[in-house]
Amino acid sequence: MSTTLTSQLGGAKGDWIRCPNCDASCRERELSSGEELRCTRCGATVLQFTGRKTLQPALALSVAGLLALVLANSSPVLVFSVAGRDQSGYIITGVRELIAQGYWPIAALVFFAGILAPLLYLTSVAYVSSACCFHVRLPRLVDLIRLSEQMESWNLVPVYSIATVVSVVKLRMLGGVQWEFGAQWVLALAVISLFVQQTFNHRLVTERLISMGVEP
Amino acid sequence: MKINNKLRVELARALVVTAALLYIPSNIMPVMTMTIVGKTEPLTVLGGVYELYDSGLPLIAGVVFLASFVVPFLKIAALGWILFLHGTPRLRERRNALHHIVHKVGSWSMIDIFLLAVLAAVGQLGSLAAVTAESGAIFFCIVMISCLLAAEIYKPRLIWETTTT
Repeated sequence: MSTTLTSQLGGAKGDWIRCPNCDASCRERELSSGEELRCTRCGATVLQFTGRKTLQPALALSVAGLLALVLANSSPVLVFSVAGRDQSGYIITGVRELIAQGYWPIAALVFFAGILAPLLYLTSVAYVSSACCFHVRLPRLVDLIRLSEQMESWNLVPVYSIATVVSVVKLRMLGGVQWEFGAQWVLALAVISLFVQQTFNHRLVTERLISMGVEP
Repeated sequence: MKINNKLRVELARALVVTAALLYIPSNIMPVMTMTIVGKTEPLTVLGGVYELYDSGLPLIAGVVFLASFVVPFLKIAALGWILFLHGTPRLRERRNALHHIVHKVGSWSMIDIFLLAVLAAVGQLGSLAAVTAESGAIFFCIVMISCLLAAEIYKPRLIWETTTT
């Protein structure tokens, strides 16, 4: 565990802890069910009552998300047809086509935000959650927590799913469009990603790691 | 790599200025060209919105208009304002709240880039249909990434700093 995590958490109740948003010092105290400790300066949540909450939902959802990611990327999302000719498109097809047109920076961005970042995010959440759920000291846990924090805002599958709906609307004005098997997995992945963000509580992770005796 | 606070502010300012400058070409220049049965049509961000509206889809047009035109503009304006007041004690709570909103809704402007990727994926039917990216899309990407990175680099804790940078 890094010093940052340790200092954010503090030690025994009554210690000074740092607000994760503005760095102000706050006095830690025992919380009861439904309570949370808010920073007096910026109003951010510093501590939350975690009680009997576990990371099992985050683990289950992240594994389900990884499965949905594989299925969403291995099946076509749409089929577009004009005058009897049709073409199906996978998520990666758009990336390949943009590279072929010479727009590799856009292709790289689509690949990163639509495929790589969700993969890294869900993998890191599954890794950290499984370590906490099974009380196993897996290597590089702190690095994986950092990775999950960084990838959270780059996991743009929900935005991709909305863009797919808009593209269907646009393509219907020009020809025939048919949803394919991959589309439902893109939608499932988008919904699961949002739930993973809700259930993967960084504060809870830090507490579980300290209880396991993981030190920097 | 550790970045000191002064460098963070300077980098964020440079990124916001870049985004503000490129916001204009990203909206003037076409982001894609659609060729359907011999008819070629270059589409700008607003052109795509108008096309959706004109086809009787005001709700979808509204979503794309908000995500692709309004959100990037508000992000640039909000970050510009937050960075302008950096080091002063004025309206810190509001700046903090605004930073939180920018961070949350910022990624929705990627909708146009994903739209281009989906259309390019299925719109390759030779002379019948072709979707090609245009240089406006590159500018749009730079605007989006600059704003995302600026919000990422300029941490909310810097709003509460007292020293002027």
